[in-house]
Amino acid sequence: MSTTTKPALTGPAPAKAAPARTWRGLRGSRTFNFWLFVSPFLAGLIIFIYVPIGWSVYLSFFDARFTVTPSNFIGFDNYTYMLTDPKFVHSLGTFTVFAAFIVPTTWAVSLGLALLVNRLRFMRAFFRSVFFLPTACSYVAASLIWKMSLFSGVRFGLMNTVLGWFGIDDIAWLASPDPPWYWLVIVSARLWLQSGFYMILFLAALQNIPAELYEAAAIDGARPGWQTFRHITLPQLRATSTAVVLLLLVAAYQAFDEFYNLLDKTTWGRPPLVELYYTALGTEQDYGAGSAGAVILTALIVVVTLFQGRIMGFGRGEESK
Amino acid sequence: MTTKRRGGVMGNTGLCIATGVAAFLFLVPFYVLLRNALSTDARITGEHWEFFPTHLQWGNIGELFDDPSVPFARSLLNSLVVAVSMTAGILLVCSLAGYALARIPYRHANKIFYVVLGTLMVPTSVTFVPSFVLVSSLGWVDSYRGLIIPGLFSGFTCFLFRQYFLGFPKELEEAARVDGLGYWGAYWRVVVPNSLNFFAAIATITFINGWNAFLWPLVIGQDPNSWTVQVALSSYITNQTVVFHQIFMAAAISILPLLFVFLFLQRWLVQGIAQTGIKG
Amino acid sequence: MSAQSNRTWDRRSILRAAAGLAVAAPLAACGSNNGRGGGSGSGKRLTQMFHAYGEPGVEQALKRYAAAYKKADVATQWITSADYESKLFATLLTDNAPDVFEFHPQIQMVKSGQVADLSDIVDPVKADFNAADIKSHTVDGKIYGVRMIDDPQFFFYRPSLFEKAGVKVPETLDELIEAAAKLTTGKMKGVYLGNDLHSIVNPLIWSAGADTLDDKNRIAYHTPGVIEGLKKLRGLFASGHLLLGAPTDFWDPSSLSQGLCAIQFCGMWAMPQFQQALGDDLGIFPFPKTVDSGKPSVYNGGWSMFVNAKGDNVDAAKEYVKWLWVDQKQYQEDFATSYGFHIPPRSSIAAAATKLKSGLPAQGVKLFNDYGHFDNIGWTQAMIQATWDVIADCVRKDGDPEAALDTCDKAVTRELKKLFG
Repeated sequence: MSTTTKPALTGPAPAKAAPARTWRGLRGSRTFNFWLFVSPFLAGLIIFIYVPIGWSVYLSFFDARFTVTPSNFIGFDNYTYMLTDPKFVHSLGTFTVFAAFIVPTTWAVSLGLALLVNRLRFMRAFFRSVFFLPTACSYVAASLIWKMSLFSGVRFGLMNTVLGWFGIDDIAWLASPDPPWYWLVIVSARLWLQSGFYMILFLAALQNIPAELYEAAAIDGARPGWQTFRHITLPQLRATSTAVVLLLLVAAYQAFDEFYNLLDKTTWGRPPLVELYYTALGTEQDYGAGSAGAVILTALIVVVTLFQGRIMGFGRGEESK
Repeated sequence: MTTKRRGGVMGNTGLCIATGVAAFLFLVPFYVLLRNALSTDARITGEHWEFFPTHLQWGNIGELFDDPSVPFARSLLNSLVVAVSMTAGILLVCSLAGYALARIPYRHANKIFYVVLGTLMVPTSVTFVPSFVLVSSLGWVDSYRGLIIPGLFSGFTCFLFRQYFLGFPKELEEAARVDGLGYWGAYWRVVVPNSLNFFAAIATITFINGWNAFLWPLVIGQDPNSWTVQVALSSYITNQTVVFHQIFMAAAISILPLLFVFLFLQRWLVQGIAQTGIKG
Repeated sequence: MSAQSNRTWDRRSILRAAAGLAVAAPLAACGSNNGRGGGSGSGKRLTQMFHAYGEPGVEQALKRYAAAYKKADVATQWITSADYESKLFATLLTDNAPDVFEFHPQIQMVKSGQVADLSDIVDPVKADFNAADIKSHTVDGKIYGVRMIDDPQFFFYRPSLFEKAGVKVPETLDELIEAAAKLTTGKMKGVYLGNDLHSIVNPLIWSAGADTLDDKNRIAYHTPGVIEGLKKLRGLFASGHLLLGAPTDFWDPSSLSQGLCAIQFCGMWAMPQFQQALGDDLGIFPFPKTVDSGKPSVYNGGWSMFVNAKGDNVDAAKEYVKWLWVDQKQYQEDFATSYGFHIPPRSSIAAAATKLKSGLPAQGVKLFNDYGHFDNIGWTQAMIQATWDVIADCVRKDGDPEAALDTCDKAVTRELKKLFG
């Protein structure tokens, strides 16, 4: 750290060595200043993001088990292994199912909460805080509460206690994959954790909708409720909605914490990152295959992102600047 | 302005009920957390659900910190160090770069920006295997260096700063320039002091993310002494022996610092989310 | 920092300095945060790594033994995570690798040069060790680990509940499943096999008359008997008579002692805790015959000490292992019988262990002797993992056992090829 930030913190130091005049010239130089500002970040970016990716491409062509400095070149074996490994292929399917669950439900719940809070006349700050508070919890803490108490498979789990009042037998929420109750556990935990965050986004957007729109609609005879929601609120929220969906997708790509903590030693319900974790850092310590998996995943995500960008015109505005 | 709009013609009762039910559901996990943290194990695993312990077991707190086999105090300290250093580091490094990309004209600035944008496409957590390989060969496993430094170079935060600085009023900088300040001086004396709200917003969010991070600390923290509080919690979930009240007390304490952040910094947080979330 | 304060910058420079300090200070201090000073070459500092034993007192005991060792300062890493194997393997790659660690005999550790040859310290006392334990740690005539404890695994049950339900001790898997059905009540499930059922994979294979690998290191588990056993197990899993999603795993006695189940698969180590909770209302039986042609079986698990051959202090580490696990018999006996119950692998100590001579512990020793199967050093973690996936795919999930075993064969063959060519 210190090596990368020092140039920034003690930037004017060269003044001592160079004549004052040169320093003044340098200080005004755009090129010098640009690099002064950017180089700590850029160096870090290259060392800690680009180099590892390059290294993992290298590793992915080697038999690298229990070592990160392998010598046995095996060509594309790791790639064929990963691509034919049912677990890795499944993990991509798991991600798809997960995204299909979590993106629409979080979108709907957070929008719903925002609408509710927005219409409240009193105790608004209180309710906003209540819905927002779970954002403070980590996925690990939530997993703990969900696994050990709410959805514990035995009689003293809260859900099983409540079901017991209605005479329903204990359900092993996480231990058994069919019926796949584990999705309920995972999705409810994530909903609780992140709905409040997106609610804030929607609230901000709702408050930016000009009141005149609603007044005009009322004059046109639109009934408050579904009609105004459908024809005014929703279209006005389009930008926010798109952003929320994108953010949710990105978050779903990176799902790891709750899957890792809730599902122990399963062959199901493993998104790609969990699968890679077990391949590379689990008992097999297969850094070659793990790196190949990371490369495949990276390539996939880049393709999807570029594709998304094409469709949504995302990033095009940036280039013109 | 917002309350005016709907007039509250219909569904007021429905609205109240819906909000109440939702709030109740959102609070249940907190209730369970507190109840278990302050109960005895016998009560938690008893035949019937006890709604709230009749005798609050405040001694559970002391018990947690006194247990030598659980390095919990150490993990709290680690989390604090990591979250604070990451916040400070990210603010410094990313804001400087973001400013240069937005405001310092330079021939190759666009190319550099593409290098940054390139990392936006790949969430950093996807590359945790290669990052671990790098960090372990630097000998940084089990160290603060390994926990903190690789996370400082967030393309996304740099991007947010750039977007923010693009909208920063030019006149202020020009005034500073007239006063004879270079880019560096103008940045620290004019730009930063006038952007404290934005910095505070990013800081709050970065701190929360640093405190709650799990995957990277899990990978790096092999030795229990270098565990952050999230890794410690996770180890309790899969522990050999389960002491319920201890586990839940640990979870409750791990959330506490962030609850303070939420109570006292909610303004910046909400503002930060509204600003940065949309821009993402 | 002083260079900065000389300049006549405004108060914000202090802010900046503070920010810089906040980043730099912990980083400067981070080299020494793991409590070990490296000490390469001096041979004065050693690290030993253990998984967290569930029985109270074990950690303190290990630290007490270490403190009594005069020739080196021994630090103990106590891994509370259930994923001990992963933690161990990952740590072995780093600078913080322990010098001495406990694990099970697995040949990949030998082939990759990870564990040191301990023949010279074990050979003199070889005759005193259980012959099977020596065999399971030997590759090409060299002994690579010192067995500390043998842990037979079997079922614990409550005879009073059996009597009430009119159930007798099961001798076949079918009878076990039947018993589970009869013992299940609204509040209590019939049987507990651990949340992921991993612990009974090997017993299931052995009790079907099969084995993990044969003498020539070829797959031996893919038999009709095993397939039949997997199908029966699936039936039990889906019956609602099996305890699932319990808060503690099979190694912890809580499920049986808290009344969540009537029969629990567990190990000898938990016997004192069971006895404390249930008194005399406690019996044990081996894993019953999977198919009629099979035989009951007991997995004689356990833990052994290994020396990290890639560490800086191999000789000092070997000396420590010799001191504690070869020479110090009173510690070895204390470790085996004072906390949980374990069977000492050395006959001289086993003969002196009075606690294991009568009552239920003696029955446990008898099961160990009559039905026990020891570790096969050729059966490695990757293969174990592959059989776990079989359980996940065709018992916990409703998959085809034949297909699951085929998948397993592929993974095991890949591993065998790497190890034996």
